[in-house]
Amino acid sequence: MPRGLVVAGLDLALGGRPVLRGVGLAVAPGEVVALEGPSGAGKTSLLRAAAGLLPHRGTIRAGGGRPALVFQQHALAGRLSARDNVLVGALGRLGFWRPALGLWPAAERAAAEACLARVGLAGLGPRRAAHLSGGQRQRVAIARALLQRAQVLLADEPVASLDPQNAEAILALLRALAREEGLAILVSLHQPELARRFADRRLRIEEGQVWEG
Amino acid sequence: MLALAALYAACIAVVQPDLPRLWAGLPRLARWLAGAFPPDFSGLPDLLRRAAETVAIATLGTSLAALLALPLALLAARPVAPLPLLYHPARALLDALRGIDGFVFALIFVAAVGLGPFAGMLGVALHSAGSIAKLWSEALETADPAPLEAALSAGGSRAQAAAVVLLPETLPQILSALLYVWEFNIRASTVLGLVGAGGLGQELKNAVDLLDFARVLAILLIIIALVLAADRLSAALRRRLA
Repeated sequence: MPRGLVVAGLDLALGGRPVLRGVGLAVAPGEVVALEGPSGAGKTSLLRAAAGLLPHRGTIRAGGGRPALVFQQHALAGRLSARDNVLVGALGRLGFWRPALGLWPAAERAAAEACLARVGLAGLGPRRAAHLSGGQRQRVAIARALLQRAQVLLADEPVASLDPQNAEAILALLRALAREEGLAILVSLHQPELARRFADRRLRIEEGQVWEG
Repeated sequence: MLALAALYAACIAVVQPDLPRLWAGLPRLARWLAGAFPPDFSGLPDLLRRAAETVAIATLGTSLAALLALPLALLAARPVAPLPLLYHPARALLDALRGIDGFVFALIFVAAVGLGPFAGMLGVALHSAGSIAKLWSEALETADPAPLEAALSAGGSRAQAAAVVLLPETLPQILSALLYVWEFNIRASTVLGLVGAGGLGQELKNAVDLLDFARVLAILLIIIALVLAADRLSAALRRRLA
């Protein structure tokens, strides 16, 4: 099984309108690839299709597993604690009753705390997500993706709603995760200077196709 | 405009409002009203026991309704409905339950299980299950879909996502809807006695049948106090949830 992310011959239509036509790309383990392009070009659609959230035609391989997705607006449950939000990342390997009753396995709780520590939020596990800052929330979302134990991490404009300082910190964190955990990371960005500084390669999406740029 | 006028004409033809009849009845009403003072609070412990029965019918009925409503609400909420095939039948069922008043259900249950508050509780429960399921499914449908989607993209099932993310997120709205229906049921339960389904309504019917208006007034005052107290309590609790 090849590791990293491989996309080949990806066709996607939304409401009958073709959005992606025969898209192919690859991201190697340990690599950060930026996805750029005008808004509406299909960056979000490509990432959501790769995460299995949109029906599509073509091949998507993410190291034999399901890629983890980090959303633009972090998509946290505001009333839940940071740790419970991270634990959502473990749902795929757990049954119904224990998570539903809040009886998470001790090993998963410990793993969630470790993921929070990995993104720089040690000790903030019990705090409600709604009471965290924007940068902290995006870190929780990344910790949730880490707990999924995916080999591929997709991030859809993860810094669009953050101030420049937090944006750089989040991208530095993603690059560190690629280097140290061997994750293949595909991240859409609309600031070219951030893409230049933090990505190993840059791809451009335009008129439904992806170009090396 | 013309349609509205026609509608009113049709309604008047059916109801046949008769002012002279009201006029003729007014002295009788006045006599009764005069006879109602002072209100007759004799046997107050009995009346309070009936009031407690009303509260018990509303509280147990609302609780049983909540148990019935939970699966119904999940089946009838688009983002989590596990079986699209069951979405419309679930909606139809909760609309049917909501459409039949608790009073009517109680009437049927009195025939089935006999006179008393148990029949009243079952009536309240069945009607309220529809109301609660509708309010809950709306709360679930209007909740932010992003955390739910995140749970699904992480490999969670719809049932897991609903239990772990959606229900805790909408808990304030869920409890608030429950309190609102409980408060409504306190009011509704005061008349259940008219069909023999227990509570203060039973005393009210006896007093009206005996034309004992001092007694009727006493019971109405207790009902007003009870409903106001339930309103205040429910409003205060709901404010704390917001």
